[in-house]
Amino acid sequence: MNDETNHPMERDPLIERVRAALRAAPEGASHQRAVARVLSVAFASPRRSVFRRALDAWRTPAFTRLGAVAVAGAALVLGFVTRGAYVAGPDTEPMTSSGSPTGEFPVVRASDIPSDERLIPTQFILDDHKAASVSIVGEFNQWKVGATPLTRLANGVWTATVPLSAGRHVYAFVLDDTLMVADPRAPKAGDADYGREGSVVMVFAP
Amino acid sequence: MSMHRVAAPKRIRLLALALLAGVSAGPVFAQGTSVLPIADAKSRQAVERVIASAEAKGLPTQPLVAKAMEGVTKRATGERIRVAVDSLAKRLEQARALLAPSPSAAEIVSGADALAVSVPGPMLKKIRASWPKTQSVVMPLDVLTELVARGIEANKALEQITTLMARGATPAHIAGLGASVQSDVAAGLAPDAALEVRARGVMSLLPSPAAQAAGAPRGTKP
Repeated sequence: MNDETNHPMERDPLIERVRAALRAAPEGASHQRAVARVLSVAFASPRRSVFRRALDAWRTPAFTRLGAVAVAGAALVLGFVTRGAYVAGPDTEPMTSSGSPTGEFPVVRASDIPSDERLIPTQFILDDHKAASVSIVGEFNQWKVGATPLTRLANGVWTATVPLSAGRHVYAFVLDDTLMVADPRAPKAGDADYGREGSVVMVFAP
Repeated sequence: MSMHRVAAPKRIRLLALALLAGVSAGPVFAQGTSVLPIADAKSRQAVERVIASAEAKGLPTQPLVAKAMEGVTKRATGERIRVAVDSLAKRLEQARALLAPSPSAAEIVSGADALAVSVPGPMLKKIRASWPKTQSVVMPLDVLTELVARGIEANKALEQITTLMARGATPAHIAGLGASVQSDVAAGLAPDAALEVRARGVMSLLPSPAAQAAGAPRGTKP
Protein backbone atom coordinates (compact mmCIF):
# COMPACT_ATOMS: atom_id res chain seq x y z
CA MET A 1 0.00 0.00 0.00
CA ASN A 2 1.45 3.37 -0.98
CA ASP A 3 1.37 5.83 1.95
CA GLU A 4 1.62 8.82 -0.36
CA THR A 5 -1.72 8.30 -2.03
CA ASN A 6 -4.19 11.12 -1.76
CA HIS A 7 -7.24 9.01 -1.14
CA PRO A 8 -9.77 11.06 0.86
CA MET A 9 -10.03 8.38 3.49
CA GLU A 10 -6.36 8.89 4.33
CA ARG A 11 -7.34 12.09 6.09
CA ASP A 12 -9.61 10.25 8.45
CA PRO A 13 -8.21 11.06 11.96
CA LEU A 14 -8.83 7.56 13.28
CA ILE A 15 -6.92 5.95 10.45
CA GLU A 16 -4.12 8.44 10.80
CA ARG A 17 -3.85 7.56 14.48
CA VAL A 18 -3.81 3.84 13.74
CA ARG A 19 -1.18 4.39 11.10
CA ALA A 20 0.97 6.47 13.44
CA ALA A 21 0.70 3.91 16.22
CA LEU A 22 1.73 1.11 13.93
CA ARG A 23 4.67 3.12 12.56
CA ALA A 24 5.86 3.67 16.14
CA ALA A 25 5.92 -0.03 16.79
CA PRO A 26 9.17 -2.04 16.25
CA GLU A 27 10.05 -2.47 12.61
CA GLY A 28 9.69 -5.88 11.10
CA ALA A 29 8.37 -7.73 8.20
CA SER A 30 5.48 -9.06 10.23
CA HIS A 31 4.55 -5.55 11.33
CA GLN A 32 4.67 -4.26 7.79
CA ARG A 33 2.29 -6.98 6.76
CA ALA A 34 0.05 -6.15 9.72
CA VAL A 35 0.03 -2.48 8.70
CA ALA A 36 -0.84 -3.46 5.18
CA ARG A 37 -3.69 -5.64 6.39
CA VAL A 38 -5.03 -2.98 8.73
CA LEU A 39 -4.89 -0.28 6.10
CA SER A 40 -6.38 -2.47 3.42
CA VAL A 41 -9.25 -3.27 5.73
CA ALA A 42 -9.59 0.43 6.65
CA PHE A 43 -9.68 1.54 3.00
CA ALA A 44 -11.82 -1.30 1.79
CA SER A 45 -15.31 -0.19 0.92
CA PRO A 46 -18.04 -1.59 3.12
CA ARG A 47 -19.89 -4.54 1.56
CA ARG A 48 -22.64 -3.11 -0.55
CA SER A 49 -26.08 -4.56 -0.87
CA VAL A 50 -27.14 -6.30 -4.08
CA PHE A 51 -29.53 -3.45 -4.78
CA ARG A 52 -26.77 -0.86 -4.29
CA ARG A 53 -24.42 -2.75 -6.58
CA ALA A 54 -27.10 -3.05 -9.23
CA LEU A 55 -27.86 0.64 -8.94
CA ASP A 56 -24.19 1.58 -9.27
CA ALA A 57 -23.80 -0.70 -12.25
CA TRP A 58 -26.90 0.81 -13.83
CA ARG A 59 -25.38 4.28 -13.47
CA THR A 60 -22.25 3.43 -15.39
CA PRO A 61 -22.53 4.83 -18.93
CA ALA A 62 -22.01 1.50 -20.68
CA PHE A 63 -24.59 -0.26 -18.60
CA THR A 64 -27.06 2.61 -18.93
CA ARG A 65 -27.13 2.06 -22.69
CA LEU A 66 -27.32 -1.69 -22.27
CA GLY A 67 -30.03 -1.28 -19.67
CA ALA A 68 -32.06 0.97 -21.93
CA VAL A 69 -31.93 -1.66 -24.66
CA ALA A 70 -32.87 -4.37 -22.16
CA VAL A 71 -35.80 -2.35 -20.83
CA ALA A 72 -36.99 -1.57 -24.36
CA GLY A 73 -36.79 -5.27 -25.24
CA ALA A 74 -38.69 -6.25 -22.14
CA ALA A 75 -41.34 -3.64 -22.89
CA LEU A 76 -41.73 -4.95 -26.42
CA VAL A 77 -42.11 -8.53 -25.20
CA LEU A 78 -44.58 -7.43 -22.54
CA GLY A 79 -46.48 -5.42 -25.13
CA PHE A 80 -46.76 -8.33 -27.52
CA VAL A 81 -47.80 -10.71 -24.77
CA THR A 82 -50.45 -8.41 -23.34
CA ARG A 83 -51.70 -7.46 -26.79
CA GLY A 84 -51.99 -11.10 -27.73
CA ALA A 85 -53.93 -11.79 -24.56
CA TYR A 86 -56.16 -8.82 -25.22
CA VAL A 87 -56.85 -9.58 -28.87
CA ALA A 88 -57.44 -13.28 -28.31
CA GLY A 89 -60.98 -12.65 -27.18
CA PRO A 90 -64.21 -14.33 -28.24
CA ASP A 91 -64.52 -12.00 -31.25
CA THR A 92 -61.57 -13.62 -32.94
CA GLU A 93 -62.58 -17.18 -32.21
CA PRO A 94 -64.91 -17.83 -35.13
CA MET A 95 -62.01 -17.28 -37.51
CA THR A 96 -60.61 -20.67 -38.44
CA SER A 97 -57.07 -21.10 -37.31
CA SER A 98 -54.53 -23.82 -37.37
CA GLY A 99 -51.50 -24.43 -35.25
CA SER A 100 -47.96 -23.61 -36.27
CA PRO A 101 -45.38 -26.40 -36.50
CA THR A 102 -44.45 -25.72 -32.87
CA GLY A 103 -48.09 -25.57 -31.85
CA GLU A 104 -47.44 -22.40 -29.86
CA PHE A 105 -48.84 -19.65 -32.03
CA PRO A 106 -52.17 -19.84 -33.86
CA VAL A 107 -51.78 -19.05 -37.54
CA VAL A 108 -54.72 -17.93 -39.66
CA ARG A 109 -54.36 -18.96 -43.26
CA ALA A 110 -55.73 -16.58 -45.86
CA SER A 111 -57.54 -19.51 -47.45
CA ASP A 112 -59.40 -20.11 -44.17
CA ILE A 113 -61.08 -16.72 -44.31
CA PRO A 114 -64.08 -16.45 -46.66
CA SER A 115 -63.09 -14.37 -49.68
CA ASP A 116 -65.93 -11.93 -48.93
CA GLU A 117 -64.38 -11.14 -45.56
CA ARG A 118 -60.69 -10.99 -46.46
CA LEU A 119 -59.32 -7.48 -46.01
CA ILE A 120 -56.73 -6.17 -48.39
CA PRO A 121 -54.59 -3.17 -47.40
CA THR A 122 -55.40 -0.46 -49.92
CA GLN A 123 -53.42 2.75 -50.15
CA PHE A 124 -54.99 6.10 -50.94
CA ILE A 125 -53.01 9.22 -51.68
CA LEU A 126 -53.91 12.85 -52.25
CA ASP A 127 -51.52 15.57 -53.31
CA ASP A 128 -52.92 18.69 -51.69
CA HIS A 129 -50.51 21.13 -50.08
CA LYS A 130 -53.17 23.58 -48.93
CA ALA A 131 -55.27 21.28 -46.75
CA ALA A 132 -54.64 21.28 -43.01
CA SER A 133 -56.28 17.87 -42.61
CA VAL A 134 -57.56 15.17 -44.95
CA SER A 135 -59.70 12.14 -44.20
CA ILE A 136 -61.33 9.51 -46.35
CA VAL A 137 -64.99 8.53 -46.22
CA GLY A 138 -66.85 5.61 -47.71
CA GLU A 139 -69.17 2.80 -46.83
CA PHE A 140 -66.24 1.06 -45.11
CA ASN A 141 -66.30 3.70 -42.36
CA GLN A 142 -69.97 4.63 -42.70
CA TRP A 143 -69.01 7.97 -44.27
CA LYS A 144 -67.85 9.33 -40.93
CA VAL A 145 -65.72 12.40 -41.44
CA GLY A 146 -62.45 12.14 -39.54
CA ALA A 147 -62.80 8.42 -38.84
CA THR A 148 -59.99 7.57 -41.24
CA PRO A 149 -57.50 10.44 -41.38
CA LEU A 150 -54.70 10.60 -43.93
CA THR A 151 -51.13 11.35 -42.82
CA ARG A 152 -49.13 14.10 -44.43
CA LEU A 153 -45.69 12.96 -45.56
CA ALA A 154 -42.64 15.22 -45.59
CA ASN A 155 -43.15 15.83 -49.31
CA GLY A 156 -46.64 17.19 -48.66
CA VAL A 157 -48.54 14.20 -50.02
CA TRP A 158 -51.36 12.80 -47.88
CA THR A 159 -51.69 9.04 -47.55
CA ALA A 160 -53.61 6.34 -45.70
CA THR A 161 -53.75 2.59 -46.05
CA VAL A 162 -57.18 1.16 -45.38
CA PRO A 163 -58.00 -2.57 -45.11
CA LEU A 164 -60.86 -3.21 -47.53
CA SER A 165 -62.73 -6.28 -48.65
CA ALA A 166 -62.28 -7.37 -52.24
CA GLY A 167 -64.66 -5.65 -54.62
CA ARG A 168 -65.81 -2.21 -55.65
CA HIS A 169 -65.68 0.64 -53.16
CA VAL A 170 -66.93 4.19 -53.55
CA TYR A 171 -65.17 6.87 -51.51
CA ALA A 172 -64.28 10.54 -51.28
CA PHE A 173 -61.75 12.72 -49.51
CA VAL A 174 -62.77 15.37 -47.00
CA LEU A 175 -60.48 18.37 -46.68
CA ASP A 176 -60.35 20.28 -43.40
CA ASP A 177 -63.43 18.36 -42.20
CA THR A 178 -65.65 20.39 -44.51
CA LEU A 179 -64.88 20.11 -48.21
CA MET A 180 -65.67 16.81 -49.92
CA VAL A 181 -63.69 16.08 -53.07
CA ALA A 182 -63.31 13.13 -55.42
CA ASP A 183 -59.93 11.46 -55.81
CA PRO A 184 -58.33 13.08 -58.87
CA ARG A 185 -56.32 9.89 -59.50
CA ALA A 186 -59.28 7.50 -59.59
CA PRO A 187 -62.30 6.90 -61.81
CA LYS A 188 -65.37 8.87 -60.83
CA ALA A 189 -68.43 7.29 -59.29
CA GLY A 190 -71.78 8.85 -59.97
CA ASP A 191 -74.18 9.48 -57.13
CA ALA A 192 -77.82 9.20 -58.12
CA ASP A 193 -78.94 9.48 -54.50
CA TYR A 194 -77.27 12.67 -53.35
CA GLY A 195 -75.73 14.16 -56.48
CA ARG A 196 -72.19 14.39 -55.09
CA GLU A 197 -69.68 12.59 -57.26
CA GLY A 198 -67.15 10.34 -55.54
CA SER A 199 -64.41 7.99 -56.67
CA VAL A 200 -64.26 4.26 -57.12
CA VAL A 201 -61.55 1.71 -56.39
CA MET A 202 -61.56 -1.96 -57.36
CA VAL A 203 -59.87 -3.97 -54.63
CA PHE A 204 -58.62 -7.45 -55.22
CA ALA A 205 -55.96 -9.79 -53.86
CA PRO A 206 -52.89 -9.80 -56.11
CA MET B 1 -57.12 10.83 2.50
CA SER B 2 -60.70 11.39 3.52
CA MET B 3 -61.29 12.84 0.07
CA HIS B 4 -60.03 9.60 -1.44
CA ARG B 5 -62.30 7.57 0.79
CA VAL B 6 -65.26 9.61 -0.35
CA ALA B 7 -64.21 9.70 -3.99
CA ALA B 8 -63.56 5.98 -4.41
CA PRO B 9 -67.20 4.82 -4.22
CA LYS B 10 -68.14 7.68 -6.53
CA ARG B 11 -65.54 6.52 -9.01
CA ILE B 12 -66.83 2.98 -8.78
CA ARG B 13 -70.37 4.19 -9.40
CA LEU B 14 -69.21 6.22 -12.39
CA LEU B 15 -67.31 3.24 -13.75
CA ALA B 16 -70.37 1.04 -13.33
CA LEU B 17 -72.48 3.61 -15.12
CA ALA B 18 -69.97 3.88 -17.94
CA LEU B 19 -69.87 0.09 -18.28
CA LEU B 20 -73.65 -0.08 -18.29
CA ALA B 21 -73.82 2.65 -20.92
CA GLY B 22 -71.26 0.85 -23.03
CA VAL B 23 -73.06 -2.48 -22.77
CA SER B 24 -76.43 -0.97 -23.57
CA ALA B 25 -75.06 1.19 -26.40
CA GLY B 26 -73.71 -1.86 -28.22
CA PRO B 27 -77.00 -3.37 -29.35
CA VAL B 28 -78.45 0.05 -30.16
CA PHE B 29 -75.48 0.87 -32.35
CA ALA B 30 -75.56 -2.57 -33.90
CA GLN B 31 -79.17 -2.08 -34.91
CA GLY B 32 -78.18 1.17 -36.53
CA THR B 33 -81.14 3.02 -35.13
CA SER B 34 -81.43 6.00 -32.83
CA VAL B 35 -77.93 7.14 -33.63
CA LEU B 36 -78.54 8.78 -36.98
CA PRO B 37 -77.68 12.46 -36.83
CA ILE B 38 -80.51 13.52 -39.14
CA ALA B 39 -81.77 16.89 -37.98
CA ASP B 40 -85.27 16.48 -39.39
CA ALA B 41 -87.01 14.29 -36.76
CA LYS B 42 -89.75 13.09 -39.11
CA SER B 43 -87.26 11.92 -41.72
CA ARG B 44 -85.04 10.40 -39.07
CA GLN B 45 -87.89 8.34 -37.69
CA ALA B 46 -88.88 7.28 -41.20
CA VAL B 47 -85.30 6.17 -41.90
CA GLU B 48 -85.19 4.29 -38.62
CA ARG B 49 -88.41 2.51 -39.54
CA VAL B 50 -86.96 1.47 -42.90
CA ILE B 51 -83.87 0.10 -41.18
CA ALA B 52 -85.92 -1.72 -38.53
CA SER B 53 -88.10 -3.21 -41.23
CA ALA B 54 -85.06 -4.39 -43.18
CA GLU B 55 -83.65 -5.94 -40.05
CA ALA B 56 -86.90 -7.77 -39.42
CA LYS B 57 -86.67 -9.18 -42.95
CA GLY B 58 -83.13 -10.40 -42.32
CA LEU B 59 -81.53 -7.96 -44.74
CA PRO B 60 -78.11 -6.46 -43.99
CA THR B 61 -78.69 -3.12 -42.24
CA GLN B 62 -75.17 -1.77 -42.24
CA PRO B 63 -75.39 -0.55 -45.86
CA LEU B 64 -78.60 1.27 -44.96
CA VAL B 65 -76.96 3.02 -42.01
CA ALA B 66 -74.00 3.87 -44.24
CA LYS B 67 -76.34 5.26 -46.91
CA ALA B 68 -78.02 7.47 -44.31
CA MET B 69 -74.66 8.61 -42.96
CA GLU B 70 -73.49 9.31 -46.50
CA GLY B 71 -76.45 11.64 -46.88
CA VAL B 72 -75.62 13.35 -43.60
CA THR B 73 -71.99 13.80 -44.63
CA LYS B 74 -73.08 15.15 -48.01
CA ARG B 75 -75.51 17.49 -46.24
CA ALA B 76 -78.56 16.12 -48.01
CA THR B 77 -82.01 16.96 -46.72
CA GLY B 78 -83.76 14.52 -44.41
CA GLU B 79 -86.30 13.70 -47.08
CA ARG B 80 -83.62 12.95 -49.63
CA ILE B 81 -81.87 10.66 -47.16
CA ARG B 82 -85.13 8.87 -46.47
CA VAL B 83 -85.74 8.29 -50.19
CA ALA B 84 -82.17 7.04 -50.71
CA VAL B 85 -82.31 4.62 -47.77
CA ASP B 86 -85.76 3.38 -48.77
CA SER B 87 -84.59 2.82 -52.31
CA LEU B 88 -81.53 0.90 -51.15
CA ALA B 89 -83.64 -1.28 -48.86
CA LYS B 90 -85.79 -2.26 -51.83
CA ARG B 91 -82.73 -3.04 -53.94
CA LEU B 92 -81.27 -5.18 -51.15
CA GLU B 93 -84.48 -7.17 -50.94
CA GLN B 94 -84.63 -7.56 -54.71
CA ALA B 95 -80.98 -8.61 -54.89
CA ARG B 96 -81.46 -11.22 -52.19
CA ALA B 97 -84.33 -12.75 -54.13
CA LEU B 98 -82.37 -12.73 -57.38
CA LEU B 99 -79.29 -14.32 -55.81
CA ALA B 100 -81.25 -17.02 -53.98
CA PRO B 101 -81.08 -19.45 -52.32
CA SER B 102 -78.57 -18.25 -49.72
CA PRO B 103 -76.60 -15.17 -50.69
CA SER B 104 -74.14 -13.68 -48.21
CA ALA B 105 -74.56 -10.13 -46.97
CA ALA B 106 -71.69 -9.02 -49.21
CA GLU B 107 -73.33 -10.65 -52.26
CA ILE B 108 -76.64 -8.95 -51.48
CA VAL B 109 -74.90 -5.57 -51.22
CA SER B 110 -73.04 -6.15 -54.49
CA GLY B 111 -76.28 -7.18 -56.16
CA ALA B 112 -77.98 -4.03 -54.90
CA ASP B 113 -75.10 -1.92 -56.24
CA ALA B 114 -75.47 -3.60 -59.64
CA LEU B 115 -79.19 -2.81 -59.67
CA ALA B 116 -78.34 0.80 -58.76
CA VAL B 117 -76.44 1.26 -62.04
CA SER B 118 -79.36 -0.26 -63.94
CA VAL B 119 -78.07 -3.78 -64.42
CA PRO B 120 -81.23 -5.79 -65.20
CA GLY B 121 -82.31 -8.17 -62.43
CA PRO B 122 -82.15 -11.38 -64.50
CA MET B 123 -78.44 -10.73 -65.05
CA LEU B 124 -77.83 -11.22 -61.35
CA LYS B 125 -79.48 -14.62 -61.63
CA LYS B 126 -77.29 -15.48 -64.61
CA ILE B 127 -74.15 -14.50 -62.73
CA ARG B 128 -75.22 -16.63 -59.78
CA ALA B 129 -75.92 -19.58 -62.06
CA SER B 130 -72.49 -19.29 -63.70
CA TRP B 131 -70.58 -20.36 -60.63
CA PRO B 132 -71.01 -23.08 -58.02
CA LYS B 133 -73.24 -22.12 -55.09
CA THR B 134 -70.26 -22.23 -52.74
CA GLN B 135 -68.37 -19.64 -54.76
CA SER B 136 -68.96 -15.99 -53.88
CA VAL B 137 -70.20 -13.87 -56.76
CA VAL B 138 -69.19 -10.57 -55.16
CA MET B 139 -66.35 -9.95 -57.59
CA PRO B 140 -68.24 -10.77 -60.84
CA LEU B 141 -71.12 -8.59 -59.66
CA ASP B 142 -68.82 -5.72 -58.70
CA VAL B 143 -66.93 -5.90 -61.99
CA LEU B 144 -70.21 -6.01 -63.91
CA THR B 145 -71.31 -2.92 -61.99
CA GLU B 146 -68.04 -1.14 -62.69
CA LEU B 147 -68.06 -1.99 -66.41
CA VAL B 148 -71.62 -0.73 -66.76
CA ALA B 149 -70.72 2.39 -64.77
CA ARG B 150 -67.86 3.01 -67.25
CA GLY B 151 -70.39 3.07 -70.06
CA ILE B 152 -70.30 -0.50 -71.35
CA GLU B 153 -73.60 -2.10 -72.28
CA ALA B 154 -74.76 -4.48 -69.58
CA ASN B 155 -75.35 -7.29 -72.10
CA LYS B 156 -71.80 -7.11 -73.44
CA ALA B 157 -70.27 -6.88 -70.00
CA LEU B 158 -72.29 -9.83 -68.74
CA GLU B 159 -71.41 -11.95 -71.75
CA GLN B 160 -67.67 -11.42 -71.27
CA ILE B 161 -67.82 -12.05 -67.56
CA THR B 162 -69.92 -15.20 -67.73
CA THR B 163 -67.75 -16.55 -70.54
CA LEU B 164 -64.68 -16.07 -68.38
CA MET B 165 -66.42 -17.65 -65.41
CA ALA B 166 -67.42 -20.66 -67.48
CA ARG B 167 -63.81 -21.03 -68.63
CA GLY B 168 -62.57 -21.28 -65.07
CA ALA B 169 -61.55 -17.70 -64.39
CA THR B 170 -60.86 -16.91 -60.76
CA PRO B 171 -62.17 -13.86 -58.90
CA ALA B 172 -58.69 -12.37 -59.33
CA HIS B 173 -58.95 -12.81 -63.11
CA ILE B 174 -62.35 -11.13 -63.13
CA ALA B 175 -61.09 -8.32 -60.88
CA GLY B 176 -58.05 -7.87 -63.11
CA LEU B 177 -60.37 -7.47 -66.08
CA GLY B 178 -62.32 -4.75 -64.28
CA ALA B 179 -59.21 -2.90 -63.14
CA SER B 180 -57.60 -3.05 -66.57
CA VAL B 181 -60.69 -1.75 -68.32
CA GLN B 182 -60.92 0.99 -65.70
CA SER B 183 -57.34 2.09 -66.45
CA ASP B 184 -57.81 1.88 -70.20
CA VAL B 185 -60.96 4.00 -70.12
CA ALA B 186 -59.20 6.53 -67.88
CA ALA B 187 -56.39 6.63 -70.45
CA GLY B 188 -58.89 7.45 -73.19
CA LEU B 189 -59.67 4.06 -74.78
CA ALA B 190 -63.31 3.46 -75.71
CA PRO B 191 -64.99 1.31 -73.02
CA ASP B 192 -66.22 -1.38 -75.44
CA ALA B 193 -62.82 -1.68 -77.06
CA ALA B 194 -61.10 -1.85 -73.68
CA LEU B 195 -63.39 -4.65 -72.56
CA GLU B 196 -62.88 -6.68 -75.72
CA VAL B 197 -59.10 -6.40 -75.61
CA ARG B 198 -58.78 -7.08 -71.92
CA ALA B 199 -61.22 -10.00 -71.96
CA ARG B 200 -59.09 -11.63 -74.65
CA GLY B 201 -56.06 -11.06 -72.48
CA VAL B 202 -57.64 -12.83 -69.54
CA MET B 203 -58.94 -15.59 -71.79
CA SER B 204 -55.41 -16.31 -72.95
CA LEU B 205 -54.48 -17.12 -69.36
CA LEU B 206 -57.16 -19.78 -69.03
CA PRO B 207 -57.07 -23.40 -70.21
CA SER B 208 -58.74 -24.04 -73.53
CA PRO B 209 -62.15 -25.78 -73.62
CA ALA B 210 -60.49 -28.83 -75.19
CA ALA B 211 -57.98 -29.03 -72.37
CA GLN B 212 -60.79 -28.70 -69.85
CA ALA B 213 -62.74 -31.48 -71.51
CA ALA B 214 -59.64 -33.67 -71.42
CA GLY B 215 -59.39 -33.14 -67.67
CA ALA B 216 -56.35 -30.93 -67.76
CA PRO B 217 -55.57 -29.16 -64.50
CA ARG B 218 -57.47 -25.93 -64.04
CA GLY B 219 -56.54 -22.83 -62.18
CA THR B 220 -57.86 -23.08 -58.65
CA LYS B 221 -60.28 -20.50 -57.41
CA PRO B 222 -59.33 -18.84 -54.19
